[in-house]
Amino acid sequence: MTRPPRRLRMGLLWYRRWTAWRRITAIVFLLLLWLGSTDAGAAYFRGSTSGTRIFDLIPLTDPLAAIESFIAARSIDTTALIGAALLIAAALVLGPVFCGWVCPLGLLFDLNSALRRFVRRRVFGIRTIDPMPAQPPQVIKYVLLGCLVGFAAVAAFPLFQIISPINLLVRAAVFGSAAGLAVVVALVVLEWFYPRLWCRALCPLGSLYAIVGRFGLLRVQIDPAEAGKVPCQKCQRTCPMGVPVMTGYTMQGASSVTHPNCTRCGECTQVCPRGVLKLSFFRFSARETSAGRCDRCDHARAAGDISLPLMSGASK
Amino acid sequence: MDALSRRQFIATGGGALVGVGLGSVYLASRSTAQTGFLLRPPGALPEDDFLAACIRCGQCVEVCPSDVLRLADLDAGTSAGTPYFVPAETPCDLCQGQTSLKCVDTCPTAALSRVEIRDVDIGEAHICKGKCLAYNGTVCRACWHACPFPGEAIVFDELLRPTVHIDKCVGCGLCEFACPTEPKAVEIVPRENIVRQRTLLQQPKSRNQRRQRGGSS
Repeated sequence: MTRPPRRLRMGLLWYRRWTAWRRITAIVFLLLLWLGSTDAGAAYFRGSTSGTRIFDLIPLTDPLAAIESFIAARSIDTTALIGAALLIAAALVLGPVFCGWVCPLGLLFDLNSALRRFVRRRVFGIRTIDPMPAQPPQVIKYVLLGCLVGFAAVAAFPLFQIISPINLLVRAAVFGSAAGLAVVVALVVLEWFYPRLWCRALCPLGSLYAIVGRFGLLRVQIDPAEAGKVPCQKCQRTCPMGVPVMTGYTMQGASSVTHPNCTRCGECTQVCPRGVLKLSFFRFSARETSAGRCDRCDHARAAGDISLPLMSGASK
Repeated sequence: MDALSRRQFIATGGGALVGVGLGSVYLASRSTAQTGFLLRPPGALPEDDFLAACIRCGQCVEVCPSDVLRLADLDAGTSAGTPYFVPAETPCDLCQGQTSLKCVDTCPTAALSRVEIRDVDIGEAHICKGKCLAYNGTVCRACWHACPFPGEAIVFDELLRPTVHIDKCVGCGLCEFACPTEPKAVEIVPRENIVRQRTLLQQPKSRNQRRQRGGSS
């Protein structure tokens, strides 16, 4: 007997592989931040989301913090410039991966949506699909980004570094500054009524990363040969940011998902029953498109014994 | 995507205009005579420039070898997330005479800039003669022993009563920490308080005639 393929051996862990990796990176980042607050760890990794230093040497600076600081102080400091350049270079290649893989607030929101799903299904016994609210107007967060830069220019003050809920969360977790937690709690409560309103419509840091990472090479790639054959909408139902992966991209013949709210989290790629999506730097090659793919849906549909969900009611 | 980018551009520009307006309102509303400034780490820029340059990352707080620095909470208003210290509880030991100050080295922006130890200007120690033991008939040299520049920043007169030479005092707060009286007879006044008071003094109608000191900081 041949060994079963890896995805069968790994079971759930393979099925949720991207989720697992994302949780690991975000938690490791938080742990490193916490490590920095200890006496022994401060030499290896210290700082918070607005600026860190690794091994007492390599600076990483939140690009928005650096921009605000440069404009407000009317001077450019080399260390902050290097730190911001490193992160911008990373975003140019990887896209806005900070949002999906690192951001502690994103991790909190992810865990909150898991709790929300659990409460919905197990406590209230609602079995229907929970529709993600439509994409809020993208304009808002670019307006906010502009507001902050203009504010920094005139008031000589990096406003976002004080009120940023990301910073407030890290300060509460690492430095024990509890006053800012009220803002974070308010956002988490908001999550229960309008998921990801902060990330999708408000976060200026996210919008800066969205602008910089627009042409990032790492993307959710779409298999042109398989796209749209099984319009199950699992991808866009599972997308934490509510990106219309299927109706907006797969069914439109796009070769990759280019939505500014796509954080390259990979959640859609792991749920796709046909392997139409992959998170990769490279497009699907001809060899990949037909390699060992599950075709049970095809047989089932051909035999007419299951009804596949159709595109009715698809938003956008 | 081009249309969206243009929309983004216009939106960001419009937002920048709104931000300029809000910033002007903020500037106009900010009171000119603030009191109660925080004691900043050594090498900090003047308060307004410091608040502009500091990105609130907290690296200085974490790297501080004696756990002197603290991070201001959100209730500190515009100072939220910035470093400060309370000399009565944790005085700055200036990294115990090492060649460089750790907080200055790690600061990613110019908020904390390189400075010679002797040129550090966190604030000035002020001695309250009413509370000071030495001024009230008891022999006490606690502040003198604690001072990193004894005989220069704190000097004794012929009756062993301490005086602070403000041009030598760096404002580290070691004397305040060492002072045995309760409340403390010696207190660090933040540099910003002194600077603002001096500008107030230069104004013709200032009532604040209490402190008249020569020399520049």
